[in-house]
Amino acid sequence: MASDSPPGNTNDGPSSPDENASSPIGNTYSSPAANRRRRRGRSSSPTQFATPPPPSRLGASNSTPPTSRPSAARSNGRNGRGGGPATPSYTDDIPPSSGGEDDGADDTTPTFVWGTNISVQDVKSAIEMFVKHFREAKENSEDLFREGKYMASIRKVIEIEGEWIDIDAFDVFDYDPDLYNKMVRYPLEVLAIFDIVLMDIVSTIDSLFEKHVQVRIFNLRTSTSMRNLNPSDIEKMISLKGMIIRSSSIIPEIREAVFRCLVCGYFSDPIIVDRGKISEPPTCLKQECLAKNSMTLVHNRCRFADKQIVRLQETPDEIPEGGTPHTVSLLLHDKLVDNGKPGDRIEVTGIYRAMTVRVGPAHRTVKSVFKTYIDCLHIKKASKTRMAAEDPMDVDNSLRRVDEDVELDEEKLRKFKELAKQPDIYEKLSRSLAPNIWELDDVKKGLLCQLFGGNALNLASGANFRGDINILLVGDPGTSKSQLLQYIHKLSPRGIYTSGRGSSAVGLTAYVAKDPETGETVLESGALVLSDRGICCIDEFDKMSDSARSMLHEVMEQQTVSIAKAGIIASLNARTSVLACANPSGSRYNPRLSVIENIHLPPTLLSRFDLIYLILDKPDEQTDRRLAKHIVALHFENAESAQEEALDITTLTTYVSYARKNIHPKLSDEAAEELTRGYVELRKAGKFAGSSKKVITATPRQIESLIRLSEALARMRFSEWVEKHDVDEAFRLLRVAMQQSATDHATGTIDMDLINTGVSASERMRRDIFVSSIRDISLEKLQIGGSSMRLSDLLEELKKHGGNINTEIHLHDVRKAVATLASEGFLVSEGDRIKRV
Amino acid sequence: MGGPAYDCLTNPLGAVRFSFGNALSSGYDPASSVGKDWGVVDLFRHYFSDESAISQVPILDSSSIKWVQPKTLVRFRGMIQDMLGNEFYAGAYKDDSTWRTNKFSDISHFPEGASSEMQVWERRLLYCVPVPGQNQWTESSSNELKNRFLDLNGQNREKRPRVDEEMTDSMESNTLEAGIDGSPFKKMKAGEATSSASESLVPRTDVASQCSAFPPATSTDSLPCLVKVYDSPESELKLNDVVEFLGVLTFDQNAMMDVDSLDEFSEAESVQMPSGKVPRLHCLIHRKLETQHFLHGSSLLTEFKSPQIFKEIRESLMKYLTGILGNDHIAAQFVLLHLLSKVHGRVDNVAVGKLSLNLTHLNRESMSIFGTQLRDALKSLLPFTQSIPLTVEYLNTASLGPKKDYKINRLVPGALQIADGTHLILDETELQPGTLNSVGVENAKLLKNLLECQKVEYDFHYYKMEMTTDVQMLIFSEGKSNIMPADLVLPFQPSQVNSSEVITPETAEAWRCYLATCKSLSHSIGQELQQVVENDLVAVRQTDRSLGSQDLSRLLTLARMMSVSYGETTLTLEHWQMVLELERLRKERLK
Repeated sequence: MASDSPPGNTNDGPSSPDENASSPIGNTYSSPAANRRRRRGRSSSPTQFATPPPPSRLGASNSTPPTSRPSAARSNGRNGRGGGPATPSYTDDIPPSSGGEDDGADDTTPTFVWGTNISVQDVKSAIEMFVKHFREAKENSEDLFREGKYMASIRKVIEIEGEWIDIDAFDVFDYDPDLYNKMVRYPLEVLAIFDIVLMDIVSTIDSLFEKHVQVRIFNLRTSTSMRNLNPSDIEKMISLKGMIIRSSSIIPEIREAVFRCLVCGYFSDPIIVDRGKISEPPTCLKQECLAKNSMTLVHNRCRFADKQIVRLQETPDEIPEGGTPHTVSLLLHDKLVDNGKPGDRIEVTGIYRAMTVRVGPAHRTVKSVFKTYIDCLHIKKASKTRMAAEDPMDVDNSLRRVDEDVELDEEKLRKFKELAKQPDIYEKLSRSLAPNIWELDDVKKGLLCQLFGGNALNLASGANFRGDINILLVGDPGTSKSQLLQYIHKLSPRGIYTSGRGSSAVGLTAYVAKDPETGETVLESGALVLSDRGICCIDEFDKMSDSARSMLHEVMEQQTVSIAKAGIIASLNARTSVLACANPSGSRYNPRLSVIENIHLPPTLLSRFDLIYLILDKPDEQTDRRLAKHIVALHFENAESAQEEALDITTLTTYVSYARKNIHPKLSDEAAEELTRGYVELRKAGKFAGSSKKVITATPRQIESLIRLSEALARMRFSEWVEKHDVDEAFRLLRVAMQQSATDHATGTIDMDLINTGVSASERMRRDIFVSSIRDISLEKLQIGGSSMRLSDLLEELKKHGGNINTEIHLHDVRKAVATLASEGFLVSEGDRIKRV
Repeated sequence: MGGPAYDCLTNPLGAVRFSFGNALSSGYDPASSVGKDWGVVDLFRHYFSDESAISQVPILDSSSIKWVQPKTLVRFRGMIQDMLGNEFYAGAYKDDSTWRTNKFSDISHFPEGASSEMQVWERRLLYCVPVPGQNQWTESSSNELKNRFLDLNGQNREKRPRVDEEMTDSMESNTLEAGIDGSPFKKMKAGEATSSASESLVPRTDVASQCSAFPPATSTDSLPCLVKVYDSPESELKLNDVVEFLGVLTFDQNAMMDVDSLDEFSEAESVQMPSGKVPRLHCLIHRKLETQHFLHGSSLLTEFKSPQIFKEIRESLMKYLTGILGNDHIAAQFVLLHLLSKVHGRVDNVAVGKLSLNLTHLNRESMSIFGTQLRDALKSLLPFTQSIPLTVEYLNTASLGPKKDYKINRLVPGALQIADGTHLILDETELQPGTLNSVGVENAKLLKNLLECQKVEYDFHYYKMEMTTDVQMLIFSEGKSNIMPADLVLPFQPSQVNSSEVITPETAEAWRCYLATCKSLSHSIGQELQQVVENDLVAVRQTDRSLGSQDLSRLLTLARMMSVSYGETTLTLEHWQMVLELERLRKERLK
């Protein structure tokens, strides 16, 4: 080992002092700055150093308030299995004066990190304080005298003879923001001191502990985007996210070489890598021999360390429009090697380095272009909750959007909470859903409920209730059903889109296949299993074969797929929401047939859908006018302004995933009461005389649907309680979906004039006002069974009367209102005239 | 210009160094500026503020590369095909006690340790290729320019030894050059000019003959270029943009020495792109190119003032198109409107303003007559045209979508990586029944997506990214194409075969100019007409329930094109009614 190791340094671990010089690529040098700093007494040598940033930035970052840690990051310590990072250890660089032994001398002659006013002693004591005294906030109250968090982990490391200690950068910041800033700004120096402190502490606990313990910092407060890396980040500690696209094979990197003389067999002492090079001794070192060019490398007595180069690429969400993804190289050492494979999304913490490249092996000149890479300290894989989700015992708290690790920063969270508080958040969310498909407001609301989902319930008895909401859209051709489906499919990360016509039962569920090589039978997942915890969109549901459709029964209620064939009996999870769409049985909705006859699907399946939407294309001048306006606006105004204020798709997705993950609303008593009342009413409606086959009767399933819907509605508001109005809205959605308000219970057919699909809330309000004003007027002007009144007169009356109607009144509005009143039995309309009865 | 002690054209690096020195003396501190411009860009921008100065700079292409000197100013016109990320370089270093800069140059190495102080700056690397499908007429403008430059080149012949010296000893040249070069050379007689001219003109004709062969898109000698861009905000240059870069041409003479130091991950770029094949250009100024920039008689633009001129040119162009299309007047109308379409807004997945046209009732024979005529006509009218034969074999084998190859860390271009404003002809008449393999299905999907949303999916292996495009698509088919559902389907009904008339270069130029101008016109609608349009749309939909929003949208797009084709920026009732009439005629044909 290096001869000038300070006492206490029993460093024979993999991180030799020269680690720093080892460059990931042969024939290269680490940057001049890094080179120089390895020299002894670096604190005073006139090295060229990356320019320290102006102190003003320090102040700025200090002013940001300490923030609480997201709990997800906590779990990280457990799964980080890597080890021995490329932490440069400068143990032999520290002048004896700064060693822990003679602190007295330090008081008079402080040593500084070169080019800064950071005193090595200050940093050292700060780190000592941190390691020894840091306690998590919640521990404080319980027992004040318990050991600090990191002292405990040091003991643990000694026990298991580990090689590193994970240190959460948030803890450092909480304890000492100044230390945190120094650490991020001058990671090489501070981490070296960190290692020394750790070694000191370790040796005081167990003086016989041999291994070198290193720190691994993770969870920095700020994460950089790969795109924004620039020269000022060089030699700084950074953290960034990305996806591994390539990883090299493991490269054994020589650390110590042993040579043997071919003449006399003399073994040299281990020669340590110096600046990425080992020079073969020109002559035998033995005095008696001194044979020239006789030394040869003895491979099995050399010491090697693992090294791997990994290429990291930006994730798609960080790429601006019209750009291609950026990549960056990572350098992994020792235990970090093979910590990720191509395709993994990871978050790395490391030091950004730039190094010069020599023109040729024999040249002393270097190229002017640098190679940049990140010297990794820590790798965190994006959480693999999907694995956990596969565990059947898992309680349903880690919800669907697992691959998008929903970690929101404070600010975003605050923004969301503000959003959730807005009274019109429900409307706003539904507006943001597929904004280019206008109308169909209520359908969108239903789909929104599906996205948010209800609470799944797993009872101790083993019974479980699904939280997923299934929706069926039945509608005339050309009512943009498929577009809605496509949109939802894009929005939901684990969404699968299939077309009913091309899907077979096994394609949807799972099938057993023989592995051609081993002959083993294996289960291959179908669409439904693949969309576990996602939304499975099935287009052309009506064109699906009956056998395939019947496979859905199990999926939609039990949320599993059971297979029993070819020696495999298995039950796979398929906790998926189904969004299906179908055309009415005769391609177009036939108003003379009942709703059920039109949909023409077995009731067993129908009852499994929480919401069944009938989307009917009814000629309506107003809708057409709105459509025309919309299109004209699209073409002639700025296309952006044509859109109403709505959330963009990424905000919407994160909003939904956050709500799904964190909000688990419960029923309030009031809401429960309302549910019971409403359900009883629904049952009654189903018992209408002679209607048994014509309308969809309420079953206990409906009440579950209603609970799910109202839970989803509460979730949208980030509310922990389901309120009465959520239940009301759930009932409304259910009714509107089936056009029940327009259904004649006696025949089960729909009165086409009464359909109000896509009528917005304000529009409904307006119509209500109309109806009541007309009622008032006719009460005033007409006697029961008396004279009749022309509609145009009524319109005139309304215009005179209408203080509370602030919009224009058209004759067709009046007609509609009269029709409503007629259905109530209040009026009869005879052509152009109305009569009271 | 007697002022500056350097020549921007032949010794741009001298200018860079000179201004750097000036900036230093006026307090510019390389250590604190993160490579920010010290005024040299302004200097060049000022120098090249007008078109005539820019046209002095030779355009770099496969022929000119043979005689253009390194370290001189060149122009490169191309499409950004790939972005290779950022490169950190030693931007400024201290030589003894004075700062020197490496900006805009490839002084590729310096003695280790010689620079006691050194600043790391960054620049962006863009891989550019000649615009796919670029038509011959766009290049012809460089001819006279080349001759002009050849004089300059001749003058520089004297200088060549010095340049070589420079290359071998770049460090030394720093100090030497700044003082000597520049204006003195201008006075020298261009003695050898003729020889070098003939040298370079011979390959030039080769290129021309190759270009006329079909397809002209990716001839073997198309020259890519690695452009290094400084101080440019990321949003300014996007993938597939057609840009003209003006900057310093360099050759990296060290490219060959890299081989032994290659690691699995070391800059793969230098291996695949030896500077002999891919020249480097250190960009000083760049600008996005519009069609106007390709027109030489730029004075024509100013003539387009009165609607009368628009009308006249429109009429003559219409006559020409009608002739080509066998006197099918309606088809000519639609083709004209189709040529004027461009995406001018996007709402979600809807690209507003696109107008793809499907001419049906074309079989192989009529295709060989009218299709070829129309294709040639379009080639002479539009700057970029591409043509894809839709055969089963082609679909099964071609790589349409660009793909990222991580082995070489490059984006491998596909046929659909094309610049905005490219015209694309899809010929379905050749399509025979057959089986599509997975590649074919993928390709068909790509084409359909392009047609419907004007987006192309780029395959990045681990994920796909959709890039927006703006491509005018014309489809020839026998029946209505179901693979390529175009916005407009029109049965083609020629009445006679006309031999294509010869058009004078002036007329062609006027038409090109007309198309480019019309395309760039803005468009609006008056309050009253908006009401009329809305009413008409409602009426149309009331009579035919099968019309969806797309059909209504198409009407408005047509109206816009009709309006701009007369050079007007607001929709008039007359044009709106013309569109409705045109649609009626089209509907009649469909029956």
